[in-house]
Order: sequence, then C-alpha cells, then structure tokens
Amino acid sequence: MPLEPFANSAPLTFGVELELQLVSLSDFDLTPASPDLMHLLKRKPFPGNVTPEITESMIEINSSVQTDYRTLLAELVEIRDTLVAASGVLNIGIAGGGTHPFQHWSEQRISAKPRYQELSALYGYLAKQFTVFGQHVHIGCASGDDALFLLHALSRYIPHFIALSASSPFVQGHDSGFDSARLNSVSAFPLSGRAPFTLNWADFADVYFAKMERTRIIKSMKDFYWDLRPKPEYGTIELRVCDTPLTVERAAALAAYLQALCRHLLERKEAPPLEDDYLVYNYNRFQASRFGLDGVITHPKTYKQIPLREDIIATLDLMEPHAQALGSVDALLHLAATASDGGDASYLRGQYERQGSPEGMVDAAIRRFRGR
Amino acid sequence: MQEFLSVLTSLAWPCAITLAWLVGEFGQRWTGLPRISFYGLVGFILAAPQLGMLPLPPSGGGTTLLLADVGFGLILFELGYRINLRWLRTNPWIGVTGLVEASLTFVGVYLVADAFGAALIDRLMLASLSMATSPATVVRVINEQKSSGQVTERALHLCALNCVLAVFAFNATVGLWIFRTFEDVGDALWNSLVVLGVSAFTGAVFGLIVPGVLRLLGKLAQDATVAFALAVILLVAITYALGLSPVVAALAFGLTARHRRVAFSQAQRNFGALGELLTVVLFVFAASTLDWRRVWAGAALAIGLVLVRLLTKTAGVTAFAHLSGISWRKGMLTGVALAPLSVFVILLSEHARHAGVQVVEELRAVAAVTMLLEVFGPIILQRALVWAREAPEVNHAP
Repeated sequence: MPLEPFANSAPLTFGVELELQLVSLSDFDLTPASPDLMHLLKRKPFPGNVTPEITESMIEINSSVQTDYRTLLAELVEIRDTLVAASGVLNIGIAGGGTHPFQHWSEQRISAKPRYQELSALYGYLAKQFTVFGQHVHIGCASGDDALFLLHALSRYIPHFIALSASSPFVQGHDSGFDSARLNSVSAFPLSGRAPFTLNWADFADVYFAKMERTRIIKSMKDFYWDLRPKPEYGTIELRVCDTPLTVERAAALAAYLQALCRHLLERKEAPPLEDDYLVYNYNRFQASRFGLDGVITHPKTYKQIPLREDIIATLDLMEPHAQALGSVDALLHLAATASDGGDASYLRGQYERQGSPEGMVDAAIRRFRGR
Repeated sequence: MQEFLSVLTSLAWPCAITLAWLVGEFGQRWTGLPRISFYGLVGFILAAPQLGMLPLPPSGGGTTLLLADVGFGLILFELGYRINLRWLRTNPWIGVTGLVEASLTFVGVYLVADAFGAALIDRLMLASLSMATSPATVVRVINEQKSSGQVTERALHLCALNCVLAVFAFNATVGLWIFRTFEDVGDALWNSLVVLGVSAFTGAVFGLIVPGVLRLLGKLAQDATVAFALAVILLVAITYALGLSPVVAALAFGLTARHRRVAFSQAQRNFGALGELLTVVLFVFAASTLDWRRVWAGAALAIGLVLVRLLTKTAGVTAFAHLSGISWRKGMLTGVALAPLSVFVILLSEHARHAGVQVVEELRAVAAVTMLLEVFGPIILQRALVWAREAPEVNHAP
C-alpha cells in the first residue's frame, strides 16, 4: 500500500502524548494495572484520550489538538487529576520518568493486543526492555514539504529536547551515568535513528517509502522508530526523543518550546538544512542523553563546540517574540529555570541520595506527578 | 527397641517436611496446582490418626506449633506490609465490602449450622471462624502465581480485614464459653477488644523500633530480611508468653513498618528461603492436626458451610464491585478468592486448646471444613486469579 497523502493540518497546532508508569504502592515496582485502570476510566468522560501500551504496566495519555499553550496545559492538568483520582480508587501509583529505576524486563507482561504480541515475538527481549516511557509532541504542518523542512531543520535542536526532558538516570537498579538512559533502549531497534534527507514530500513518499515497502521490511510509517517522523494521516511531524517528564507542567512547556521553534524556523531566516548537518547529529544526541544539560554539542554549520546549557538558554531568549505571539512566555520561563537549576534527572538522583533507595526515588516521582 | 523408636520419632518431622516439599515440587510441575495444596495432603496422610508417621502434637504445642506460628507470623507480617491504610480512606467502599462480606458470612454460617442442629455456642464458633480468609494461603498463592491486579490487591486487603474481625468474634465467643453465661456478653466483647488492642499495640511498637534500628545501622538499601524475621520470631514468642494474638500483633507489625516505610528490596518477598521452609512446616503441621474420623463425621455440614461461605463472600464483595471501581466480574472473582480458610482456623483453635478451651475439638464440622479448604482453598484462589487474568501463564495449569 503506497504511503497515504499528507493530510493538511493547521500549521503550528500541537498535541502531546505521554507514556506513564503504573507502580505498586507496596513495593514500588511496575505493576500490570492498565486493564483495571482502563476499565475504571471508561466509566467517566475523560478529557483527551487514554490507551493501553505494549506492557500492562504502562498507559499512554494524549491531549486533543491545541493551538494555545495555556489550554494545552489546562487539559493536561485535568487529565492528570482524573488519573490521580482513579489511581487512588485502585491503590496504584502513577509516575512520569523515562525509565522505571529497578524494574526487571523479564517480569513485564505484554498486553493482549495482537499488534503487541507480534512485536514481542519479532523483537524478543528488546520489546520487553522497551519498557521505557516517552513524551511525543505532534506539530501540525500545512504540507508534506513543510513537514520535511521542519523535520530536518529541527535536527540541530534535538539535543535541547533530550536534555530538558531527561528523566531516566537509573536502569535495572543502578545509576547508568546517563541522564536519559531511555534513548539507549530506543537505539537498539533496527529502524531507529533519523529520517533520510529529502525536503520533497513526493520524493519521500514515492521513492524512499515505496522502495522500503518493496523490501518488505516495513509496512507503514509506524515501523520506523525515528527521533522525528512525519505522520501523514494527521498532517504532523512527531518529536519522539523526550523522556516523559516527572510533571505534566514540564511536558506542556516542552511542547510550547517546540511550537515556538517551528514558528521561528518557518520564517526561513536560518540557513537551510543540509544532509551534512547530520555529521554531528548522533554525537550531539549522545552528549545530551549522557550528560544532559552539562553536555557539549557541536554546531552543525560552524563545528563550534557549545555547552548545551548555554545554547538552550540563548535559543529560549531568541524565541521570546514567538512565545509572545503564541502566548507561551510562561512555558519558556519554566524551561529557562529548568536549564539553569537542573532537570528531572538531577532531581531523581538527589532523591536517591536522600531516600537511600531506588524505591524512595519512585515514591518521590509519584508525589511529584500528583503536583500537590 | 525403645531407643530405635525414639530415633524414628525424632526423624518423623524432618522426613515429613522433606516428603511434603518433594511432593509439592513434583505435584506443582505435573499438575500446575499450588504447592501448598500438596503440603496439606501430605500432612493429613502422614498424621497420627491416619498413617501414624507423625506423632500427635504434645499438649503444650511443642516446637512444631511454635515453628508453625513463626511461619504464620512471617506471612502475616508480609500481609500487613502490603496493606495500604490510606487506600481504605480514599476508597471507603473497600472497608464497607469487608464488613458486609464478613457479616453476611457470619449470619449465613450461623443459619446453616442451626439447620444442622448445632448448639448455640457451636454456631457462634463456626460463624466467627468462617468470617476469616486464611492469610497464609492467600499470600503464598499470590506470591507463587506472581499475580497482581485488583483481585489480588483486594483479596489481600479484605483478608486482613476479615481476619481481624474473625479474631475479635472468636475471642468474644471463647469468652462466652468460659463464662458459660450470656449475661456476660458485654464482658466477653470487652475482653476480646482489649486483647486485640494490646496485641496490635505490641506489634505497632515493633513496627516503630525495628525500622528505627535499621535506620541507625544505615543499611536501608541492603537486605533487611534477617532483622524483620528475627523481630517476627521475638514478637510471636512475646505474644505466646502474654496470651495475646500473634495474628493481630504480626499484622500490626507489618502495617506499622510499611507506614513508617523503610523501603523493601525485592529479596524480601516471602522472606526468601526461610519463609519457604517455614511454609512447608506450617501447612504440614496444620493438616496433621486433623483426624479422618472427625473429617468424615462432619462432612455433610462442612460441605454446606463451605458452599454457603463461598456464596456469602462472593455476594458481599460483588455487591460493592461497581461502587468500589472494578467490574462485576472482578468483584465476583475477588469474592471467590476469599475462599481459603484452613491454616488460620487450625492455629486459632490450637491456641484455644492450649488455653484450655476444648470447645473447638467438639465442633465436628471444623475438621472437615479445614480439610476441604486446605486442599481446595488454594486451588479455588488460583482459579480466581487465573480467570481474572492476573497471573502470568507460566506459573499455573491452563
């Protein structure tokens, strides 16, 4: 089946998906509570949407399509409050964070959905190790060409989103040394990485996708696990590098930052994206996931080494007029404070120090998600 | 010859436990049924009145009863540790469910016993014992199945709740029996309440001190199994000496330890090998106290009681399923999951016996009920968890 045409959507509209952890309040390990939680949530009208995920100890929530940061934030807060109330009824904890710090992948239960059973059969332990939790942000694009332009122009800013959202320092009970260890799990998949360089939608759909389909390795866009991928049926591009932050407030702020950046890039005042930009891409991505805000990235055009924190703060400043226009100044202030004070990964490490155990860290994450 | 006999006697328990363990392992592998069902069967068959391999328990209870009590104490501590009191506040329907299913069971069993012509005191005894769900079976089967979900979570909470209610009702009935007059109902209730209170207090004190000591040692992230196990042994011994309820004390210990959280590490589920070993002792011992003649004599009443109990518990829990936030189906399965009874009743009646209360011996139905549920309780519970899709496939029969 050829790739469907790129559905047009209103430019700069946006939406957020968050994968969340379901945690037992007795031992703070992941618990396969999604069937019970989904049952309970079906009984009342739910703002946005909630869906089961590959393992039963994970759920995904998503906002509706929004134009404005404040309404997005309000919706996410409402979803959060509904979830927290439901989790109280069922005696489970809900938390953000890109990884669960001590879950054992061999104990995860794969959901009954046929697609997930197939994925599990194909990928084996990779599927279970993929019990990681990410935030996806969709941005509406006027056309397929715009989508590809944004997709490649954004590659230079990918490390910003990795570092600002990083919340997965611990894996299998130990500090991994990475701020976002989750990204390493994603990289293990054969179809992960970056999209091929083309700025022309017809080229992408009729040449690249058509060839890939003929190889029979892929059936649909869903089989690509790229950091940024087009979603033609929604008319969006989807940013997939973020860890799920510990709070919905940060999730909304990250989405607003992406919206402002896209508005800036669409003015096309910056040098256009080139294939050569990707020479530094993987290493910059590694710096951001390994060292978080303390990483050092290489500028794709000038090859200058820039401390990531400085680059983020400078870019946030540059986005101010766009944030003014979009009504998201508060979001950028929130992220500027995060960049200077440290993000969720350093918060989690601090909690580990204070509480003395990974369980205490999960407890802190649950309380932080509640926001009260 | 005499010497040879005493050597044989001293070998009886170690051999019985080894045999029970072997039968449990092979039985579980071949049939997929819970191990503890096999432990019970072996204990029953080897007991003095049956094959006669195991000696009758001495009148003081002996070390085996103490060991069984410690095993039970460890399980109750774990149960207490998994109880979240805050949940009972945020979802009050859980508490309501517990009260209703226990009271319904009390009334139902009382009426059935009456229909079989049991004496008033016997009816009260049977009714109060039947309220409980055996924590040993519930915790063991849930751990063995690695099950988790609402049926699991609720079975644990309701089990803790109905055990406390049963201990209270049972102690009150024993009080009545001792006074032999119903003018002293008030006194009997008050006494029972005091025993509950003091037991809970003793457990709670442990729950404050032990985590405090662990914190002083600064080994929070490390294994606290030994410290907690020793504390449980000490606590059980103290309740023995003071005539308190080891059930309530160990439960309160676990509860307090949880709410003054010292985070547990994975290794402490089941108290590892120690817990495993004492479980075998506990279940073999419990079944070895039964006599087939009594089991046979009470069979008809027992089947009636087991059925009515299954019915009242299922009805009581199902009634509040929707209000408490789960499907009718899961509500019903939670009720079914509360079926196990035996070990709890046996330990309670053993203690009553040592306190000089022989009444339970006379309850011919009790032996039969416990035998039935010693074997079938774990199987029913396992089925409930499997049907609720809360147990991963590898651990049970299809």
